Amino acid sequence: MKVSALACAAGLVLAGCGGSHGSAGGASKTLTIGVSLSLTGDFADPGKAAQRGYQLWADHINAAGGLLGKKVTIKVVDDLSSPTQVVTNYTNLITRDHVDLVFGPFSSLLTAPAGQIAKRFGFSFLEPAGGGPKVFAEHLNNLFFVQPAPVVASGQVFADYILSLPAAQRPKTAAYPSLDDPFSAPIADAIRARFEAAGIKTVYQGLYPAEAPDLTPVMAKAIAGNPDVIVSGSQSTDAYQQVKALIQLKYSPKFMFMSNGANSPVEFPDKVGANNTAGIFSAGDWFDGSPEPGSAQFTTEYTKKYGGTGQQIDTNSAEAYACGQLLEQVAAKTGKVDNATIISTLHSGAWPTLLGSLSWDADGSPKGTFHLVQWIDHQLLPVFPAATAKHTPLLTKPAWNG
Amino acid sequence: MTRGGLSRAGVLAVVLAVLPLALPQHWVVSMLVFTVMYAALASSWNLIGGFAGYPSLGHAAFFGFGAYTVALIFPNTHNLSNGLLPFAILPGIAVVAGLIGLPIGAIAMRTRADVFAIVTITLLFVAQTLALNLRSLTGGAQGAGVAVPPFDVANFERPFYYAMAVLLLVAMGAGWYSQRSKIGLSLAAVRADEDKARGIGVHVTGVKLLAFSVSVGITAMIGGVWAYYVDFVYPQFAFDPLITIGMVLMAFLGGRGTLWGPVIGAVVLVPAQQYLAYELGGSQLYLIAYALVFLLIMRFLPRGILPTLTHLRRRRRLIAAADPAPRTAAAELGLAHDGQGGARV
Amino acid sequence: MHTIIQGVILGILTGGVYALMAGGQTLIFGIMKVVNLAQGAMVILSAYLSYTLFTSAGIDPFLAVLITTPAMFCLGVAVQWLFLRQLRREDAAELSILVTFAIALAVEGVLSVVYSTSYRSINASYANTSFTVGGYQVSAVRLYAFLLSVGVLGLLYLLLHRTRFGRAVRATVQNPEAARLLGVEPARIRALGFGLGTATAAAAGSVFGLIYPFNAGSHYDLISQLLSVVVLGGLGSLGGAVVAGVIIGVSSSVVAVAWSPTWSQFTFFVVLLAVLLIRPRGLFGTVLRGAL
Repeated sequence: MKVSALACAAGLVLAGCGGSHGSAGGASKTLTIGVSLSLTGDFADPGKAAQRGYQLWADHINAAGGLLGKKVTIKVVDDLSSPTQVVTNYTNLITRDHVDLVFGPFSSLLTAPAGQIAKRFGFSFLEPAGGGPKVFAEHLNNLFFVQPAPVVASGQVFADYILSLPAAQRPKTAAYPSLDDPFSAPIADAIRARFEAAGIKTVYQGLYPAEAPDLTPVMAKAIAGNPDVIVSGSQSTDAYQQVKALIQLKYSPKFMFMSNGANSPVEFPDKVGANNTAGIFSAGDWFDGSPEPGSAQFTTEYTKKYGGTGQQIDTNSAEAYACGQLLEQVAAKTGKVDNATIISTLHSGAWPTLLGSLSWDADGSPKGTFHLVQWIDHQLLPVFPAATAKHTPLLTKPAWNG
Repeated sequence: MTRGGLSRAGVLAVVLAVLPLALPQHWVVSMLVFTVMYAALASSWNLIGGFAGYPSLGHAAFFGFGAYTVALIFPNTHNLSNGLLPFAILPGIAVVAGLIGLPIGAIAMRTRADVFAIVTITLLFVAQTLALNLRSLTGGAQGAGVAVPPFDVANFERPFYYAMAVLLLVAMGAGWYSQRSKIGLSLAAVRADEDKARGIGVHVTGVKLLAFSVSVGITAMIGGVWAYYVDFVYPQFAFDPLITIGMVLMAFLGGRGTLWGPVIGAVVLVPAQQYLAYELGGSQLYLIAYALVFLLIMRFLPRGILPTLTHLRRRRRLIAAADPAPRTAAAELGLAHDGQGGARV
Repeated sequence: MHTIIQGVILGILTGGVYALMAGGQTLIFGIMKVVNLAQGAMVILSAYLSYTLFTSAGIDPFLAVLITTPAMFCLGVAVQWLFLRQLRREDAAELSILVTFAIALAVEGVLSVVYSTSYRSINASYANTSFTVGGYQVSAVRLYAFLLSVGVLGLLYLLLHRTRFGRAVRATVQNPEAARLLGVEPARIRALGFGLGTATAAAAGSVFGLIYPFNAGSHYDLISQLLSVVVLGGLGSLGGAVVAGVIIGVSSSVVAVAWSPTWSQFTFFVVLLAVLLIRPRGLFGTVLRGAL
């Protein structure tokens, strides 16, 4: 019974073999890139944004004759936000479908297991999500985090801005409500370290779990000490819930920085009400109208293919697109896009992308900085550093309005 | 009967040993790792959930315990000279988990059936919260990296596969033993009517606790192997209700309280799930397909695959027999419903 | 102290919503011993229905309840008829866990295809409004939601205790054989009972969509929360669900304020464990029959 059942199962699996053939080796006319994304569940939104970015780049390069003359196809599979599935997916992509290259997964919690598999088979691992400290502690020399800075450092630009203000204008007290996850709390912690060193008093600092359905009690406690600045280590829906709680508690701080969630150009105003976004800061690596190479073209192609305006493009799409730009440059420079070449090439020098110039240390941690963005007149605009700013920062956050 | 059991066990052991040699592709062996893992999980769950009739939903707490123990003893800063070392501590993990399981089982098994299920799932969430909040020990939400296995790439998955296969044999061995021995009789009595069992002098508490303890001990070892294989643990993945649900589903699907049911459940469900997610994930149809497979099986084989098949076979035999009087058939049916004895293959 | 009282107010209002969501589930258990893991998915489905009615037809979510309730009732009856009817009574409680979980997955799957997986929220004009009462902030949506919950649960109580149908339901719960002799058809009652339990998800969904952002996967978090409410209150006890909902709401928000939200769940589960070990049938559960 057992034997026949096993044979049955093996048959089921093998039956899938015939369906999808990746291109094996360099002789073929196509170049297949495998990606595992969380297309269902909590990370489905950013996962799909990343998918659009990858596909857009593939269309872009194919319209220009392909990468080194090869037509690029992106094979996307779903990992259900499960480490078990992500192991299956990358093993399948690499050893069954024989894809030529892989990009990193979304959700970011799956980056470490996936990166290990890629390393084992000698694959380069460009990943636009998953920049927590523990990922770099894995010391994967094939991994490149395709954002300007590691997650821990993404809020530094807000600290830079606040500490650049004259002492009289700086906040005196601060509250730090953060989501307990690898990509949120560390941002608020890093800002807090610098604020405390500069004499800004911490009146609240606390974590809330991912499943906290209700943040009103957290925010009620956070504002009990009347903080001048609220620094939120937020991720997505929790950012919306924080803002809604503050509105209902009728408390508007002088400064408000949210590490993530508030930098989602479509979702954030939709969830908290467009009139309540004014003055909120966040960090971003890409923005509409960015002068970086390829950005304008990216925006044009994106709005042409998916509709909407440049303002509405999710940065996850831009980050995914940047992975492709890096491949293009490696190909242009070396005339090859095999994994070993990609790894050795990207480890030296700096690489211009629509996210700015990227460079990495040996563990794949990027060395650049983010931009400070702020909601001004219903738009998310870069406001600091001055060199790339499109608007001067609003010094005081306007009151809630709605 | 015993000879038949032994020969079947021999066949299983040989099949398990040969499979990765016959199908050596990485992706096949990797899928086999997870299939055998779930077969082992479902079989160990079956010891308490099937044979003793206590449907625990908290086994993932022990799975996570095993996973975190391996991750904390062999962190990713650790350079493993011998890749088999993490496997060597598994028996120790089993003993500790089994001992932890004793008081927990003693308290939880004061309740029965549905309430027991809820009490145990509560334990799972308590364990997950502890893993998240005891940051200095576990690393909290940041997760914990496990030492990289220094195995040869060509046969990388094999050690994990064989570790899982051994654990499956252990779990099935425990199941087989508990069916044949006095302990098994006691468990069956507990499942049928606990109070009556106590009345006729069965050491109800003792056998229940033994079954619970062995069951969670094996589960913890499986968690340890899993952590070593996937390389990185987070509280939400190591203490995942879906792992609990997975093992319970497979046991139910194949036929709980039977020796082979959980294995069959896993062999059907795991490849189907992994395959559907891989192939259909991009089109969002995965969940619908998975749920449909599930609902259809529950709709047409509500008692699990194995018991239903056995039942059908028996009925066919009965109808083929000389006296096809509907009454007798009905009586026989009723009998098959009551005792699950006929379902044991 | 101010923040603790603020927490208590919020906890009571939230607790009412929990009670509403769990009410249907406890009712279903009471009538047919089915542990319904799909209730959370039904709440999310209703939230989407309400969302669609609001965004495409401008119907207020509180009014939408009048449309979604009958729809959910029919869906519930259909689900019971198709998938639960054939479960044998002896292991219905355990098998139903699997069947309803599969139904939950199917609902989630369909929703993520139809609505994609972006988070949605119903932004009624009063979504962010709050009233100031004695220095405390009371969110308008939550207050309305609480009142709706109380209303729906009250109606459910009247239905069970003041109507022929209710008497038939209670008779079936207590003694299906005797009820059959009195001309009550248990199979019909079970189908209608499941429909009724599912119908309460309609109101719960409107309320849920107004308060929280949701997507198809949101039902996972609800499963353990609703089970906790149902079990703490006593499986099958409508009044118990209300008390347990308020206990959960208040305790989690007070722990969040007084200690840390990361320990809310832990505290709550420890309390739940303690209650179950002292009273295995929950606060208001009865051992055998007459649970309603």
